[in-house]
Amino acid sequence: MSDDPIGVLLQAVAAQNRQAFHDLYARTAPKLSGVLYRILGNRTEVDDAMQEVFIRVWQRSAQFRPDRGMGMSWLIAVARNHALDRLRARPARAGMYQETARDEDGQDPLDRIADRKAGVLESLVARGEAQRVVACFDAMDAERAAAVKGAYMDGLSYKELAERHGIPLNTMRTWLRRGLLSLRECMDQ
Amino acid sequence: MSDIFEPDDWPPDDRDDLLAAEYVLGVLSGDERRSAQTRSETDGAFAERVAHWERRLALLNAAYEEGPVDPGTLEKVEAALFGEPAATPEPALATRRQGAGWRLWFAGALSAAVVVLAVLFWPQPTAAPLVARLDAGELAFDASYQAGVLQVAHRGPEAEEGRDYELWSIGADGVPRSLGILRGEAIEIPAELDAGVTLAVSLEPLGGSPDAGPTGPVLMTAELTLGD
Repeated sequence: MSDDPIGVLLQAVAAQNRQAFHDLYARTAPKLSGVLYRILGNRTEVDDAMQEVFIRVWQRSAQFRPDRGMGMSWLIAVARNHALDRLRARPARAGMYQETARDEDGQDPLDRIADRKAGVLESLVARGEAQRVVACFDAMDAERAAAVKGAYMDGLSYKELAERHGIPLNTMRTWLRRGLLSLRECMDQ
Repeated sequence: MSDIFEPDDWPPDDRDDLLAAEYVLGVLSGDERRSAQTRSETDGAFAERVAHWERRLALLNAAYEEGPVDPGTLEKVEAALFGEPAATPEPALATRRQGAGWRLWFAGALSAAVVVLAVLFWPQPTAAPLVARLDAGELAFDASYQAGVLQVAHRGPEAEEGRDYELWSIGADGVPRSLGILRGEAIEIPAELDAGVTLAVSLEPLGGSPDAGPTGPVLMTAELTLGD
């Protein structure tokens, strides 16, 4: 028995099951659209990107490995990667990324994880894992934790992070890397 | 900001792992991103590192909100993948669009008289439409369902700032299923519906209900019945 219905659908899609593809689409399109909009920030590009993401999902579904994670995480990785490719391929225009839908309310992304409606904490295992991730971010320097979350959620580049913090790019990179190492150390305990 | 290292000071093992983390995080610039991507596709050990970082950061995914979806997306995806219009559940929509293209071609190629004939003898869906009128005074939605497509005409104000109207179908099992967000004056939704199904409109947060069912107030309901 699997407690990952999206993962099961992905495996059926990998077996060229088109009905499963429809079901997968129906269940995941709104979330993936939200991911793309958050990073890309305009509706027209999201519609294009959605098509390309689902084409990739069909073509690459055999690469999904259920032992390595949940189906939804895999799909979101595909969507994020595609959005980031588009973002980094944009001509470098200062401040262009800022048209994206940032966290309007300034809410910390991790706060939503406690929110039942986020719908990801379906098992006790997931809940335990969530607590550890939250604890690890809490253990980090607050500014660094915010930079990691902002980069992940909004697709900020080192260049943008450096501008935002008013420091040289290499300094930013070193600073963030220290945060990533401490995060890894804490999570892998 | 006291801990400044030169980039090359990282131990080689950490350097690879940090690059994987930066790739997953998305902070790399275009060139560096492309080379990390190539590496994740060709270097198994590096791919493992990428997968591990994806797992470490996956919990942040919960913070992404759902967004609206263009109703034509799946059809376009299937056309691109399979070179044909979508099969179930959107056959009618695909056929109708193809029909429109045909008629255009006819219009260009043949005389007006032939066009009239062609349109007259075009195979029409035989079933009469099912209709439902969802009416709450100044706000109303007229729904008409035929051949796999629900057409909804909207009259009255759009949802207030930060909200959306969401359309639901409620069948014999009593469980509401989302048919989509209602924005604009005319909305087409591919759907599998039968007479007797209840349609309902609720007021939801922007982008639609974050739950499986409606979370906001249900503004109106009406049953789909055979029209005249």
